[in-house]
Amino acid sequence: MSVPQYRKVAALALVTGLGLSLAACSTKGDDSGKDAAGKTTITVDCQPVGAQKELLQNWNADVAAFEKDNPDITIKSVSVGEQCNNPPDFTARLAGGTMTDVFYGYMTDLQQVLDSGQAMDITQYLNKDTIPTWDSVDPALKEVFTDAGKVYAVPVKNYSMGLVYNKTLFQKAGLDVNNPPKTWPEVRDAAKKIATAAPGVAGYADYSAGNTGGWHFTAEMYSLGGGVLSEDGKKADFNNPMGKQVLQNLKDMRYGDNSMGTRQLLQWGDLLTNAAAGKVGMFIGAPDTTQAIVSQFQGKYEDWAMGPLPGQDGAAKGTLGGGEGYFFKKGLTEDQVKAGLKWIAYEKLTPGKGQFDYVRAKPQNYPVGLPQPLLFANGSAAQKQELDLRKANANVDTSNYALFENNPIPIRGEPKNAQAIYAVLDGAMSGVLTKPDANIDELLKTADTKVNQLLAAGS
Amino acid sequence: METRTLISHAQLRRGRGRVIYWAVLTVVVLGFTLVFLGPLYWMVTGAFKSGLEIAQTPPTLWPKDPQTQNYVDAWNNLALAKLMFNTFYYAAGAVFFQLVFDTAAAYALSKLRPMFGNLILGLMLATLMIPAMVLIVPQYVTAIDLPFVHVSLLDSPWAIWLPLVANAFNIFLLKRFFDSIPEDLISAAMVDGASPLRILWSIILPMSRPILGVVSIFAVTYVWKDFLWPKLVMPSPETRTLSVGIYAFAGGTPQNIVVAASVIAAIPTVVIFLIFQRNIMSGLTTGSLKG
Amino acid sequence: MAIIAPDSLNKIKGTNAAPEKTRGKRSRRLQDNLTGYAFLAGAVFCFALFSWFPMIRGIVMSFQRTRRGVTTWVGWDNYIRIVHDPSFWTAWKNTFYFTVLALIVGYAVPFFVAILLNEFRHAKGYLRVLVYLPVMLPPASALFLFKYYAYDPSEAGLFNAVLKFLHLPTSEWMQSPGMTIPAMVIASTWMNMGGAVLIYLAALQNIPGELYEAAELDGAGIWRRITNVTIPQTRLILALLAMLQIVATMQLFIEPLILANGAGTQDSATSVAYLIYQHGFFQNDLNGAAALGVIMLIVLAAFSAVYVRLTTKKD
Repeated sequence: MSVPQYRKVAALALVTGLGLSLAACSTKGDDSGKDAAGKTTITVDCQPVGAQKELLQNWNADVAAFEKDNPDITIKSVSVGEQCNNPPDFTARLAGGTMTDVFYGYMTDLQQVLDSGQAMDITQYLNKDTIPTWDSVDPALKEVFTDAGKVYAVPVKNYSMGLVYNKTLFQKAGLDVNNPPKTWPEVRDAAKKIATAAPGVAGYADYSAGNTGGWHFTAEMYSLGGGVLSEDGKKADFNNPMGKQVLQNLKDMRYGDNSMGTRQLLQWGDLLTNAAAGKVGMFIGAPDTTQAIVSQFQGKYEDWAMGPLPGQDGAAKGTLGGGEGYFFKKGLTEDQVKAGLKWIAYEKLTPGKGQFDYVRAKPQNYPVGLPQPLLFANGSAAQKQELDLRKANANVDTSNYALFENNPIPIRGEPKNAQAIYAVLDGAMSGVLTKPDANIDELLKTADTKVNQLLAAGS
Repeated sequence: METRTLISHAQLRRGRGRVIYWAVLTVVVLGFTLVFLGPLYWMVTGAFKSGLEIAQTPPTLWPKDPQTQNYVDAWNNLALAKLMFNTFYYAAGAVFFQLVFDTAAAYALSKLRPMFGNLILGLMLATLMIPAMVLIVPQYVTAIDLPFVHVSLLDSPWAIWLPLVANAFNIFLLKRFFDSIPEDLISAAMVDGASPLRILWSIILPMSRPILGVVSIFAVTYVWKDFLWPKLVMPSPETRTLSVGIYAFAGGTPQNIVVAASVIAAIPTVVIFLIFQRNIMSGLTTGSLKG
Repeated sequence: MAIIAPDSLNKIKGTNAAPEKTRGKRSRRLQDNLTGYAFLAGAVFCFALFSWFPMIRGIVMSFQRTRRGVTTWVGWDNYIRIVHDPSFWTAWKNTFYFTVLALIVGYAVPFFVAILLNEFRHAKGYLRVLVYLPVMLPPASALFLFKYYAYDPSEAGLFNAVLKFLHLPTSEWMQSPGMTIPAMVIASTWMNMGGAVLIYLAALQNIPGELYEAAELDGAGIWRRITNVTIPQTRLILALLAMLQIVATMQLFIEPLILANGAGTQDSATSVAYLIYQHGFFQNDLNGAAALGVIMLIVLAAFSAVYVRLTTKKD
C-alpha cells in the first residue's frame, strides 16, 4: 500500500472505531420494568425463529393483539434458537443471568434453575385473576414445577412419546399401515422389511448425541418397565437386564439386520432431517415431531402416523412424558410478573387464542388435531373447549394418531438432573450404534459409574 | 529479476528440468484445485440441492433442480446480515483497541521504560503460556460479573474487545519492532521539545506500518476464527458472530440451508482477501517474521 | 523467537540502535515514569482483568463449590471428582493423539507446501489464494462442510463416493472410533493451513539465494539443501509456530463439537477442552471445570518448560 492509502485506511478505521465504541456504550436499560410512558415492559423468550414462518407470524400477531388489549404492557420477544432450550446455552444464560424476564425451560430444568438462584417464587400470583384457566390446568403438571410447596413456572406444553412411523415406507415394505408394531421384536421385523424394500433407508432410527440419545434410552427403559434412577433418585439404576435388553434391541437392528442406516451420532435435528427426506421408517417421539418434520424440515404430513410406544412382549409398561413451561426471573416487579402471567395465559392457556387458535392454524402448514399439548385436566371445562375446537378445525387426518390416542400408556416424568444424565447415556447409545463389537455390559457399567459420580457430586 | 530459491532457475528452464517442472506444476495446480476448490464447489452446488437430493446415493455432481430458495431462506432465517455485521463490528473494534492499547504499551516498554517495566513485560509474556481454554471458566465468571463494579459484559462487544487487548504476542511483536528504531531519532525529537505522544504518533507509528498491518491481520483472523468465547459471552441471537450463529441454527435447520448460509457468509471475506491479497502477503513478508 | 527487521531503517541509519542510553536528569525520571505508566495503563488494565485475575480466580474456584448462590471451600473435592470422571483419561489420550498427529500432518504439510510454492514461477498467486481460501470460511461452516458431505458415513458421502469409485474400502469416518481423530486432523489442517503457509512463504522469501548457490556448489542435493539451508534459516519461525500450534491443538474444541456432536462414539472424540465445556456448561459444574483448567495449565507449563529446555540447548 502506498503511504496516502495507509493514512486513509488508518483514519477511517479510527473514525469508525470511535463511532462504534461510543454507540456501544448504551446497551443496558434500567431495571424498574417501566418505560418512560409508565408501561410495564417484559422480555419473553422462545419466539419462533425465522424458519418457522407461520409460527413467527402468529406469535407476532398475538403480541400485537395482546398489546392492543393491554395498552399498559409492552412485550419484547426474544428468539433463542430453533430449540428454545439447548442445554449448554440454557446453562450459560442461567450462569450469566441473561435470561429474559419470563423464560422458557423444560420440566426437567427446575432443579438447575433453582441451583442457579435465578428463579422467582410465583405461587402467590397464580390464580384465576391472572390466568383464567388456571384451575383447569392438570395438577400433575403444576406439581412438576413445584419445589417445597412453591411454584416456579407455568406449564405450557406436555407430551408423551409413542412410535412415529412413515406410512409410505410401510406400504412400500408391504406392512399394514393401520397396524404398527406393538413390541420391540415387531419393530425389529418391520425395520428389517423396510430396509430391504427401500435401500438406503433406516427402518428404525434413534439418537445418540446431544443428550437426545440418553433421552430416548430413558423412554425405552420406561417402555420395558425400568427407569434410569433408583426410587430415591440417588443411584443409577439401568445397569440391569432391562438396560441390556434396550441396548441389545438396538444392536440387533443396527448390526444384526443392518436396518438402522449408516448415519449415526444423530441429534434432534439430524434424525428429523433424515425423516423429512423419507429416509426413516420408524422412530420414537412425541406427536409434535411430525410438526417439526413438516414445518422445519420440509417433510409431508400425509406420510406420518403414530402408534403407542412398543413394549418388550406386549404393550409398553410406561412412556416418557415431558414438557415445558415459563419461569420468572428473580427480581421482577409485581406488575411485571402479572403482565407475564397475563401474556402466558393469552398465548398458551386460552382455548381459541395463541397456541390454541385452531381457526387461524387450520389453513396454515401447521397441524391441528395432534393429541397434544395435554395441558388441561381430564373433565375440565377448558379441556372440553379445547378438544371441541381441535376436532372442528383439524387439518391433519386424526385417524393417523388415533392408535396413539386410544391406547394410553402410563406416563412417567423425566429423572432428576435429566440433562446431565442424558449426556452420559449418549455414550452408551453411540457405542451400541457405531461399534459392531460394542460390549453392552461395559457400556452400561461405564455409564453407571459416571451417573453415580454425577449424582454424588450434585448432592 | 528473480531471486534464487531452492532450485536454480536455469535448471528448471532446460531439458529434463523443464519437463519435470511443468509436470509438477500441472499436478500441483490440478491437485490443489481439487483439494481446495473442490469442497467449495460441492458446498455452493450442494446448497442448491433439495433435501431429497442431498441424501441421495451416489451424490450428484450437478443439482438436478436448483433451489435458489435455499439461499433466500438462509439469508432470512439465520438473519445473516445481522450476524455478518456483528462479526465485522467485533473485528473492527478488536483491531482498533489492540492497535491503540497494545501500541501504547509496547511504546512505553520499549522507549519510555518506566520502573518495573520489565517485570510488567515478564508478567505479560507469561500469559503466552496460558492457553485460552485454561482461563475460559474464570474469564467467563469475570465477564458476567466484573469485580467491584458488578456489571455484566454479556452481549456487549466489550466482552470481546477487552480480553483481546490482553494479547502478549502483539505487545511482544510491537516492542521488538520499536526496539529496533534508533534511539537517536527519538532523542533528537525530544530535544526539539516533542512530547512522548507526539513522538509515538509522528515518528514511531509511520515507521511501523508493516507491523501494525500484521497485528491488524492477526486481530481480524482471531475474531473470525474464535468460537467458544463468543458463544459463551454472546448468548443472544442478536449479538452472535457468524460462526456461532450458524452453529446455533444448524441443529434445527435443514442441511442445505445451513450450507447455503455458509456460502453466503464466506463471500465478503473471500472478496476482501482477493482485493487485499497482495498487501497482506507483502505485509507479512517485509514487515514481519524473519527466521 | 521472531525478530522484527525493519531493514529500511537500518539502511537509513547505517547502524543499529544502542538499546541502553544514558537518560536525562533524576528529576525528569519521575515524570518519565508516570508518562510510561499512562501509556501502559490500558493494556495493563485488560491484562489484569482478563488474564492475571482470572488466573488466580481459576485456582481459587477449583477449591470451592458454589450451590444455590452459596460458595464453600471443598479442598481437593473438585480435583478428585474430575480425575475420576471416566472420560478424564480418554480425553487426555485423545488430546495428545490429536496434538501429535496434527504436528506431523498439520505442521509439516504447510512447510513443504510453502517450499513447493516458492519454487514455482507460474500460477503462484492462484495457488496462494487457493490454499488460503478455507481460512476465509467461518470455522463452523468449514466443519459442517466436512460433516455433511465429506464424512457422511453412507455412500452418499463425498469421501466414500470417491473411495468406492476407486474400489477402495469405505469408512464410517467420525463414527468409526479409529478414524475419529485422524478425520478431525484432516479437517482441521484443511481449514487452518493457509495461515501457516503464508507465514512460511514470507520466511522463505527472506532466505538469501547465495546460500543455496553455495550449497549447490558443495554438491548438496535438493533434500540436503532443505535440511542444511532452508530449515536452519527458518528455524526460529519454525520453532515459534510449532509452539503456537501445540498450544492451539491442545485446546481442540470446535472440531469434536461439530464433527462428532461432542463426544463422538463413546468418547472417541472427547477432548480435554470439550470436557471442560461439558462440566462447566452441561453439568452445571463450573468449579470442576475450573479444576480441569488448572490441571491443563500444569500440563502445558511442564511441556513448555521441557520445550524451552530443548530448544535453548541447541543454541
